[in-house]
Formats: sequence, structure tokens, C-alpha cells
Amino acid sequence: MKSLTLRNLHKTYFDPAVGTRVTAIQDVSLEIGAGEFVAVVGPSGCGKSTILNMVAGFLPATRGDIIVGDRSVKGPGRDRGVVFQNFALLPWKTVIDNVGFGLKMRGIPKPERDRIAMEFLELAGLSQAAERYPNELSGGMQQRAGVVRALANEPDVLLMDEPFASVDAQTRMTLQEELMRIWGERRHTVLFITHDVGEAVFLADRVVVLSKGHVLREIPITIPRPRRWDALTEDGEFKRLSAEVLQMVRAA
Amino acid sequence: MSHSVAPIEMGQGPGAARHIRQAAIFVAPLVVLFLSWPLLVWAFGVDARVFPGVKAVFAAAVESVSDGSLLAHVAASLGRVAAGTLLAVVVAVPLGVAMGVNAGISAFLTPLFRFFSVLAGIAWIPIATLWFGYGFGAITFVIFNAVFFIVAYNTLLGVTAIPMRLRHAAASLGAGRLAMVTEVLLPGALPNIVTGIRTGLGFAWRGLIAAEMIATNVGLGYMLFVARDFYRTEVIVLGMIVIGILWLLIDRLILAPLERATIERWGLVQRA
Ligand SMILES: Nc1ncnc2c1ncn2[C@@H]1O[C@H](COP(=O)(O)OP(=O)(O)OP(=O)(O)O)[C@@H](O)[C@H]1O
Ligand SMILES: [Mg+2]
Repeated sequence: MKSLTLRNLHKTYFDPAVGTRVTAIQDVSLEIGAGEFVAVVGPSGCGKSTILNMVAGFLPATRGDIIVGDRSVKGPGRDRGVVFQNFALLPWKTVIDNVGFGLKMRGIPKPERDRIAMEFLELAGLSQAAERYPNELSGGMQQRAGVVRALANEPDVLLMDEPFASVDAQTRMTLQEELMRIWGERRHTVLFITHDVGEAVFLADRVVVLSKGHVLREIPITIPRPRRWDALTEDGEFKRLSAEVLQMVRAA
Repeated sequence: MSHSVAPIEMGQGPGAARHIRQAAIFVAPLVVLFLSWPLLVWAFGVDARVFPGVKAVFAAAVESVSDGSLLAHVAASLGRVAAGTLLAVVVAVPLGVAMGVNAGISAFLTPLFRFFSVLAGIAWIPIATLWFGYGFGAITFVIFNAVFFIVAYNTLLGVTAIPMRLRHAAASLGAGRLAMVTEVLLPGALPNIVTGIRTGLGFAWRGLIAAEMIATNVGLGYMLFVARDFYRTEVIVLGMIVIGILWLLIDRLILAPLERATIERWGLVQRA
């Protein structure tokens, strides 16, 4: 695993409605250690997705540096695995071929990548669905596939933009716990975007509150791991931290 | 209707019964047309030089099949359509993809492609014969144009309709330029490409018949044209029937199922 550093990041968009450039990200610096799980929260439009898209290499930064390990980010690359809110599975590929896609891009032969993909599908409880097409799966199953597709490619950093926002509350809690279990084994460096304060506190080592394009506060989450929802919902420390973050977000 | 046959049909899948019903609905008006033809010819005492009777057309069919001339005409026509279409698709798809990934090129060429899509087929015949003379070249050119612009335009539409996040996902998994084309853009645009080929072939088939009347000495269009010179209305009608049936077969048995299959398999409903 590698560290992720954002240094004095700026982003301005040209807004055709106003006819001028508007600032979306203003001087954001962030240091995410190797194997650290950082969640970014903030109100809608504060620039969370903009940050993630720049780190993923989908969007050029106006100013500033993004560094993975010791290499500066130029464009999309397999060192940064991305999990999308709307899954973004390729509809014309089966689940196993979606999960093995990154391996295929590395030239790993079919039997080998099927074996690896199958391991990851088992990890996500999806081995039964390997030969199905994405549109034949429930939202929760599709997102499990989305997560292991990123993991199977062995990225150094995992980038997730509200990955569980489009599944029902019940499934979301299960997915969060599964993510914790998998992350506990592999310790990826994670940048996790969400507007769900409880989710951020449950998952992260540190929560970053973003406001109007800049970092408002960073709050370390000291709750011991492994974390499980049935134990945490009544936990005093969890409640206190959630309330603190929530207050911050509402003031943002 | 007390002895229902439903359980037996269920065994073959409900799809089979539905297909048969659909086919029946499709064929029924054609059957009515076919049956009323001899009746009308008889009732109005139509001269054979104006419109032939069923018997004469049937005799013409037997004759042209047994002397091999019908087969030669059909083979020539199908061969030209196949050649022109193949050539058009091979050129149009890469161009459509290139246009689709480049917003500038796409914006510039889209109006042109729309314009030429309207001209598809027949309007190209005069200039085609000027450029290529009378023969294979001119006819292939007409078919090429009928298919090329529509397929290129549809490919472009298909590529631009692929959600950006799918391209992003592939790129972050390590897909380079070539893999992006083969793994994302082509499969993503395939349903549109097939639709384009189906529409284009419809124009091509009409254009082909027209072009063959002018620019060749074999083919279904030529067959119609020559028969006219000899007042052989039965050959003309036979040719028209063959042209119609061939198209229906191509469209219903090859193109429509192909289009449906890609759209279903590719799960387009999911794209929204
Ligand atoms: N392509 C764009 N062009 C112009 N402005 C943009 C563009 N994308 C985002 N913005 C603006 O940048 C700001 C930050 O947007 P961003 O999508 O990063 O917010 P967000 O925190 O992810 O919001 P949400 O929680 O709703 O997803 C917003 O004001 C938005 O309107
Ligand atoms: Mg967002």
C-alpha cells in the first residue's frame, strides 16, 4: 500500500450559466498514510466528487499536486482503484469478466484471471452470480461486484464516491461491514466520499469535513476495530463523534 | 374450448406460441392480397399486358428458376449488397468511433452526416454512373453510400451515449486506447451500429434495384427493366415479389433478431 498526498489543490470550473469561472476546490491539502482509511464528508456541492475525480485522474487539477507513493498523478491508472456510486459495471460483460477486467488489461491469461476473479467473488459472496450479467443483479450485488472489481486489480489506493448511496439502508449496513472485514485483511489506503455522517464515523480512521471547497476540520476516529453495527449503534463514543461531525457538517 | 392446449404449449415455452401468432398476424394481409389478385384480374378482365394473372407469373417463376436466370439475378443483387454493405461498415464504424471520442470532430461532421443520410441511395445513381461508368463499381458505390452515412452516424451516436463513468471505470482499471475501443466503445455502440446497418440496408436494397435498372446487365432491377421492354408483366411482377420477399427474409430473419439480441443482451435499459 502507498500513501496519498494532496498538496494545495485547486479546481475552478467554467460555469456557462454565469459566464465566469467558479471555484470548486480551494487550497485543499490532505495526507493519507499508507493503509489509512479517510472519509470525506460535507454538504452537497462542497466539492467532494471533484476531489475524488481529480485523484482518480478523470479531471485535471487547476493547480496543486496529487501524489501516490512518490509518483505524481497524471491521469487514470491502475494504482488507484475506483468504486462508483452507480457501480459502472460494463453491461456487456458477465460479472466474472467485469471483476477480471483489470487483470485482462494486464495481459493475464483467461484461466488465471478467472481463478483470481472467482476468489474475489467468493470474498463478496457472489460466486453464484459469476456468469450473470450486471442488469440481472440487485443493486447491492452490483455494488459488491463493483468493489471487488476494484480490489481484484490490486490497487495501492482505493477511491470510493458514495458507493453505498444507491442501495437500501439494510443492504448498506451489510456492505459497510463487509467492506470493513475486507479492508481489515488487506489494509488498502482508502479515500471514501460520503454525505452520511454515521457511515463516515463507522468506517474511517479519520473524517475530513469539507466546506465550500476547503477543509473545515479533520477529526480522528478512535473507536477500536473491528467495528460492527449491532455493537456501535448504542456506543457512547460513536454517538459523540457522530454528533460532533454532524454539527460540523451542518455548520459548513 | 374446453380442451385447452395451454399445458402443451407451456412445455415448448410461451415464446413459441407468441412467435407463431406474430408470424400469422404478419402474413395474413399478404395472404389476402395474394388471394384477391386472381379475383380482381378475373372480375375486371384485365389485359395480361397491363397486369398478369397468377398462372402466368407462376409459369414465369418456373421458367426462370429452371433456366437458372432468376438465381443469377438474385445472386448478383445479393452479392452487390453484401459487398457494398461490408465495405461501408468496415469504413463507417472506425470513423464513427473516432468521431464519437472527439467532441470537435463530432460536432463538425454531424450535420454533414445527417445531410448525406437523407440522400441515402437513389440520389447518388447519376453521379455514380458518371464516376464509375455502368457496372459493379457504380452500383456498389450507391449501396456503400446508403449504408455508410447511416452507420457512421449511428456509431457516433452510440459512442457518445456510453456513460462517461464506464469509460472512466475502464481507464482506471488499466485500459489503454486500444482496449478502450475494443472493450468499451465498440461493444457499447454495437446496438446502435446494428440499428444503423438495418436502416442503411433498407435504403441500400431500394437503391440497388434502381441502380440495376440503369447501370448493369444482371440483377433483379435489370430483370424488371428488361421485362418491361418486352411487355412481360408476369416477369415484372415475379421480380417485384422476389424483391419484396428477399428483403422481408433478410430483415425479419437476420437483422431484426440481431438488433433485438444486442439490445437485450447489452441491457440498454440499464443505461439510464
Ligand atoms: N463539470 C462541472 N462544471 C461546472 N461546475 C461543476 C462541474 N462539476 C461540479 N461543478 C460544481 O462544483 C461544485 C462541487 O461539485 P461536486 O460534484 O464536487 O460536489 P459534491 O460535494 O460531490 O456534491 P454531492 O454531495 O451533491 O455529490 C458544485 O458547486 C458544482 O456545481
Ligand atoms: Mg458528489
